[in-house]
Amino acid sequence: MKFLCVPCDSPMKLQTVAPPEGGSLSVVYSCPECGYEMAMLTNAYETQLVQSLGVRIGPGTSEGASSGASSKCPFPAMMPATEGAPESPRDAEPGPVRWTSGAEARLANIPAFVRPMARTGIERFAREQGAQEVDERILDQAREFFGM
Amino acid sequence: MKGYHDIVGDGGSRILEQVAEQRTRIIDGLAGVRHLVAVGSGKGGVGKSTLTLHLAGALRARGLRIAILDADFNGPTQARMAGVQGALLVPGSHKVALPRTRNGIAVFSMGSLIPESEALDFESAAHGESHTWRATREFALLGEILGSFEWGELDLLMFDLPPGAERTVQYADFLGPRTAFLLVTIPSEVARGVVARSVAALSKGPNRVLGYVENMSGYYCRDCNAIKPLFASPEQVRPSGLEIPCLGTVPFDPELARHCDRGIPLAELPDTPVGRGLDHVAQSLLDRLESTAPAAAHSSRELRPGREHPR
Repeated sequence: MKFLCVPCDSPMKLQTVAPPEGGSLSVVYSCPECGYEMAMLTNAYETQLVQSLGVRIGPGTSEGASSGASSKCPFPAMMPATEGAPESPRDAEPGPVRWTSGAEARLANIPAFVRPMARTGIERFAREQGAQEVDERILDQAREFFGM
Repeated sequence: MKGYHDIVGDGGSRILEQVAEQRTRIIDGLAGVRHLVAVGSGKGGVGKSTLTLHLAGALRARGLRIAILDADFNGPTQARMAGVQGALLVPGSHKVALPRTRNGIAVFSMGSLIPESEALDFESAAHGESHTWRATREFALLGEILGSFEWGELDLLMFDLPPGAERTVQYADFLGPRTAFLLVTIPSEVARGVVARSVAALSKGPNRVLGYVENMSGYYCRDCNAIKPLFASPEQVRPSGLEIPCLGTVPFDPELARHCDRGIPLAELPDTPVGRGLDHVAQSLLDRLESTAPAAAHSSRELRPGREHPR
């Protein structure tokens, strides 16, 4: 969807995306010529349809954002089954297992939807190996152990 | 006044760019895969998943490098049948490693991740309206899986499709013209009628339809070591009427069904009519893939039995 400032005949630019409320997003666009601002307010169907494409929306989204990097995307807050949400409480295991930043970075390669399940499984593997921390060595061990 | 196509970009949301990036990741991820084969039907319950797994096993036994993507996210069965239930997804430095069967077939199945007692569920802003967005979300997930896993160098990547003639076409659209289709039916006019609809629907697009396999073509009676009719006697069954080649028939074997439940590969069964039927289908499939391949795909490599596994 694109917005055109008719008096200026100029494409409007996305400025801000407000946190979602009741399934609706408030996305503010402004005209770079005259400064006129307008807000696009989505209904739940529109919000969900964009969310279903697996993309992020918001100023400053950059390459890699759709695969898990941080962004101003409001959708994760609406997607407790994916990243940014409590990860699989049903699979909660006793005792915390820490993750090193390197291991976390590799975990981000897993699609967000299945990431919580993958995290739980890897933590279980780490415990079985007597480790309290998941680092890249544990991940490599898991690959070898499962013949990957 | 400017029109939509006069404006470059979308003002900052980058939605189209992100979709294009997803497509690029998928294309890059599948660059080392020689053949993409979707096993579908349109009809449910004809044995698509069983045939996919055991056909993969027959191809693997020829030394080919094979992976299966269980695209039936809502009713995944490959994890159990392939013996990879509960397998870990382990991330590498760039992509995610795939679980493998005992005989070296790489398998992605949601059944490895979600217990059979639970249904695949997506959080939604449009509560109670999943018919408006669910298919889009599932295809986005399929795209993420294709773009995120280490498919590597493969001879065949087989997609085990969910039932539904319309779904078959949606997968054709999503996977693109590189993907060839193998359809599965059973000796039932009802099933053949549904498969015929899938053929008709696929014929409107660019995807190759390699042919069909008649599954459950009788059953193998171990007591009398003979194939007996399962649905109707052969003389009662009319010609299929499907205007695509038949790549072979595979009888039903109760022992094989038990193996599937336990995740035991077909190769661990002694020589049976099912194994011979699958081997015939495997050869027919390879022949059809080569004979119908676009000119560019012929140039570099051919599928030859005996190729070593890359690991």
